[in-house]
Amino acid sequence: MPSSSLTTPAPWRLLLMPRLQALRNGFRHRAQGGRFRPLVFAVVLALFWVGIFWLFHRVLDYFHTVPELGPVLSQKLLHLVFLTFFAVLLFSNVITGLSTFFLSRDLLLLIPAPVSPAQLFTAKFVETLLDSSWMVLLFSGPVFLAYGIVHESGPLYYLLAFVTLVLFLGIPAALGVIATMTLAYLLPAQRGKDMLVVFSALFLSLLYMLLRLLQPEKLVNPEAFSDLLSFLSAMRAPSSPFLPSAWAAEILLPFLQLKPEGSAGFHLLMLLSTTLFLFVVGSSLATRLYPLGWSKAQEGQRRRTLRQWWETGVAAAATVFPVHLRTMVLKDLKTFFRDTGQWSQLFMLLALVIVYVYNFSVLPVGGVGGSFYLQNVIAFFNLALAGFVLTSIAVRFVYPALSLEGKTFWVLKSAPVPLRRWWWSKFWTGVLPLLFFGELLVTVTNYFLRVSPFMATLSAVTLFFVTFGIVALGLAVGVGYPNFTAEHSAKIASSFGGVLYMVLCISFIGAVTVLEAWPVYVLFLSRLHGTPLSPAMWGGIITSLSCAFVLTVGMFWGATRWGLHRLEALEISL
Amino acid sequence: MIHLEHVTKRFGGFTAVDDLNLHIAEGEIFGFLGPNGAGKTTTIRMMMGLLKPTAGRICLGGHDLAIAPLAAKAISTFVPDRPFVYEKLTGREFLHFVGGLYQVPDKLLQTRAQEGLDFFHLVEWGDELIETYSHGMKQRLVVASALLPDPQILVVDEPMVGMDPIGTRMFKALLRSLTLKGKTVFMSTHSLEVAEELCDRIGIILGGRLIALGTLDELQRQAGTEERLEEIFLRLTAAPDMLEAIETLQAATARKFRV
Repeated sequence: MPSSSLTTPAPWRLLLMPRLQALRNGFRHRAQGGRFRPLVFAVVLALFWVGIFWLFHRVLDYFHTVPELGPVLSQKLLHLVFLTFFAVLLFSNVITGLSTFFLSRDLLLLIPAPVSPAQLFTAKFVETLLDSSWMVLLFSGPVFLAYGIVHESGPLYYLLAFVTLVLFLGIPAALGVIATMTLAYLLPAQRGKDMLVVFSALFLSLLYMLLRLLQPEKLVNPEAFSDLLSFLSAMRAPSSPFLPSAWAAEILLPFLQLKPEGSAGFHLLMLLSTTLFLFVVGSSLATRLYPLGWSKAQEGQRRRTLRQWWETGVAAAATVFPVHLRTMVLKDLKTFFRDTGQWSQLFMLLALVIVYVYNFSVLPVGGVGGSFYLQNVIAFFNLALAGFVLTSIAVRFVYPALSLEGKTFWVLKSAPVPLRRWWWSKFWTGVLPLLFFGELLVTVTNYFLRVSPFMATLSAVTLFFVTFGIVALGLAVGVGYPNFTAEHSAKIASSFGGVLYMVLCISFIGAVTVLEAWPVYVLFLSRLHGTPLSPAMWGGIITSLSCAFVLTVGMFWGATRWGLHRLEALEISL
Repeated sequence: MIHLEHVTKRFGGFTAVDDLNLHIAEGEIFGFLGPNGAGKTTTIRMMMGLLKPTAGRICLGGHDLAIAPLAAKAISTFVPDRPFVYEKLTGREFLHFVGGLYQVPDKLLQTRAQEGLDFFHLVEWGDELIETYSHGMKQRLVVASALLPDPQILVVDEPMVGMDPIGTRMFKALLRSLTLKGKTVFMSTHSLEVAEELCDRIGIILGGRLIALGTLDELQRQAGTEERLEEIFLRLTAAPDMLEAIETLQAATARKFRV
């Protein structure tokens, strides 16, 4: 007889247990395997956490000192924070929901099991919520802490911030899951790929809409308003009273003494009732739509006329290359453009880049009031940011190169092909688009900034060499930390190696930028004041620029050498 | 054709393959048997350059894998136990990809790819994405790709897993025809019937060490029995308590059916 103390948990909790146990086992395994990785992870997370706190504390502290405008900007910033979370979470939940509800391998075990659709929905909803929102939950901590400290709020504020955030996270999760289930039900079978295209397009439109709603350029250009009163009035207007992000912000504002007349209770009830309502709708849809939607999603895509026009064109153009290179590049291009999980990330990056360029186009530094000095300082920031954008692209498309070969890497490893050919095929297919894209980005934004021709040329040349380092480093770290078992490419980018690559790359770009910034600063000052430079200064300038060049070339050479060595030594025991 | 000399592979403190010596002649079908975790797959992966031996030497067709890996790989192909292939390519594209890696001339590649799809009854699926294939179809595709470069040595790890009876029959016929052409086959399998039926010689590995080697007659002499390979295998590899448990179960079943 089983003991009465051994009670079986509710089915939805039982369904979540394998995931939680796997997580626990993963931690134990890592703890046994060495402390290096968790330590690096913890340090990186702590640095980011502290960095976010520092930034927000500084900004809010500054706002706090500005009478009238300061509190308005603090309010607006809180709205902006929640709105950004909402947009990011909505997209993230759609993608995660698609994975947990339709693609996850455990569904083959769970669907035939005697579990009600409502219980399955609850378990999968919680899984989606945790998967898509843990990062927001973690990194929003320093933001709310900074608000609380600057505005000297009591413990009730912190408690309410946590409750608000948890309720708020439920809304994009429910909306994302409902959208995924509905589309899977409505769209014809074998159109899983189209689903993601629709989602991506929706996200892009949403982002644009939110951008226009916020009118961020008004924050940096108050002269656009006829007087201070109209500026303040525009700032005080809520972004949209129907958005859950606005409700969440309105709950906290009275406790920050930013809007004493606000009704936190009303907005808290709005948030709570909407979260519960959407959950009930989702659960009801799960009973009606999910079984058929899931069945449709299982049907594979059959395509008789696979060869598309671009494939024929590329295949014809590639005949000039050696057979090994041609074979590998064609395979990579085909698998990339046929894998929705990979190419759909381009939409997200495109949106980020549009916002990036848009921000530079509305910055008032190039206008009448913009100074020569400010333009060129921002040009350096632009160079570093462009490098960061390239890194964030490379971490998704270059760094996972080996991991994406996955369990098929045996094909290449056992074939009579030197692995350095694989390396160079990946290198050139990574470096050429990134070079084109990076140069375009930095040239267009420098045009908006109206920087001097010298600065524009320096940015373009630096980015050219830095790109070689970024790609080589991405491949090398990817070879050093391969993940052959990831279910999709986004997971590879967010793994330990991905984080390590981002940290190394940002340090590399930061070092090159700093090494170039000082000589340029000295040259500009000399030009501005009309004073000639001493031979010692010239020596310093040449040394600093040489160091930047050596660092760039060294990164490319060192990463390539290390990566090739690791690649040759790599063992496959899958 | 295949020479393994004092090959050892250690993973940390665990020795997966221990001082293995094997010499397989041209045109021979060699069966490599052993219980789960005995070291079969590790041996095969070392032979294909996927793992590096901790010690020892592997030569394929006279080419030392450590010194001339590309020459050794150029004359040998591999069928792994699980058919991991590029899901987003079609079957035909996968064959062309493998042909490209082995530098098979274009026209010959077209012909051989078509022959492979024909032989393995995959013509109708040749232009479909591999992700829509069943496990057995993927397995047949991988075998077709391994034959495409016309290798001197074919190394197969558990080839029949997931194959339907037709696929299995085709594969067996294929192996026989290969040996007639002088090709050498190194095959690891759990199917003792297949090993008995096809292999010229059999090696049995246990705990990383080769414990028996020879023709079926030689193995029977070594095990002191004239019974079939299954009995020999059990006698050589199963622990006494396991044998006892099997015999108890067999006796209980026999009693039940007598009643």
